[in-house]
Amino acid sequence: MNAYGGDKKNSNSRRTWDTAVYEQKAREREQQIKDEEEDEERRRKGLKPRARPGTTASAKTKGLLQARKQTVNLEGMVGKVQVVQASSAASGQPGFYCSVCDVTVKDSLTYLDHINGKNHQRMLNRGMKVASETVDDVLAKLESLREARRRRDEQKNAIYDFDEQVRRQEMLQAERRRRRKEAKKRQKSSKADTDGNYAKDGDGDGDNDNDDDDDGMIAMMGFGNFGSTKNA
Amino acid sequence: MANRTVSTATAIHGTNPQFLIDKLYRQRIYDSLYWKEHCFGLTVTGVMEKAVDLNSIGGCYGATNRPSEFICLLLKLLQLQPDRQMLDALVDQEDFKYLRALALLYFRLTEKPAEIYSKLEPLYRDYRKLRQRQMSGKYKLICVDELVDELLRNSSICSVALPQMTSRRKLEDRGDLAPRLSPLDDDSDSD
Repeated sequence: MNAYGGDKKNSNSRRTWDTAVYEQKAREREQQIKDEEEDEERRRKGLKPRARPGTTASAKTKGLLQARKQTVNLEGMVGKVQVVQASSAASGQPGFYCSVCDVTVKDSLTYLDHINGKNHQRMLNRGMKVASETVDDVLAKLESLREARRRRDEQKNAIYDFDEQVRRQEMLQAERRRRRKEAKKRQKSSKADTDGNYAKDGDGDGDNDNDDDDDGMIAMMGFGNFGSTKNA
Repeated sequence: MANRTVSTATAIHGTNPQFLIDKLYRQRIYDSLYWKEHCFGLTVTGVMEKAVDLNSIGGCYGATNRPSEFICLLLKLLQLQPDRQMLDALVDQEDFKYLRALALLYFRLTEKPAEIYSKLEPLYRDYRKLRQRQMSGKYKLICVDELVDELLRNSSICSVALPQMTSRRKLEDRGDLAPRLSPLDDDSDSD
């Protein structure tokens, strides 16, 4: 035994590598590059890529390309500092950070290119093919678009009923008040459990008793609240 | 690639359908923000959704020759190559005029002359107004029937070169097309 707990004869303390595994990996990578080159060659000649037993299985598990539901928020982080848990290469520079691929790109256009790119989609396990659609899909979509437009027009053309609006606002406020009271009660009771100063509140209902005045004032002024997010 | 034509597409006028928009123009569309942000991964129904929200037709505009949303969606359609039935559904629907305008231009670009005459001529009766964005960036009013007329007669629209049309008379002589019945004739008969 030597100082590192190894064999005395074989006395180097270097890390050892599982050469077989890495050799296998290298061979696979080489094969993949070769296959891709061949496919490219065939494509240039107008032929289909050669069918390979291994690759078709992986292609099947790959999903279809999906359009984004929301627009990309490019300006959302302006003026903010975000600490990212990234590899050293990605965290060293400012820019748009992609948490999926752990890369940082310099500007918005490059970022869009990145999230539209093959590598990013591969990380999301998607291929670059979109779903194929039939005429039925198109007709159904037309119908749903018509429906959406009809609903929007209805809303736009709805006659403004003042009393109805007032009633709705009152209901909303009552609901809000009730929820706030409940929350306060819960907070107070949990506090009482911990340090036992529940009896300090005069009437024991666990609030400050000026909610109603506040709400009355709010209703009179014609806005929802004073902009505080505390009790929302 | 996000800019590649679908693998099931067939050649139109002997080339990749996307090549119907010339290269510089196409490249400008690929580079535009609208293309990258909103047109990525769209299917035909996705294009429909966007086309319904359009508020003008047109090609490139402004000092920087910015491609309009209309032309971006046209390129997307060329990329996706909707089949004839889908296209008919888009042209025949009456509720969304900009969607119809888009489908009309696509139809004119990709179909055969006889088909184009028989499909587009009935739409001379569509008098709805469209806004057309000119190259200066200003808007101009145009009606759907004017658009149809331009599609049938002009050699380019929205800075897109339109494929050559065989003249109507030749098609009639060849027997591919019946003589045109003007809707005005019906009106005069009924008077």
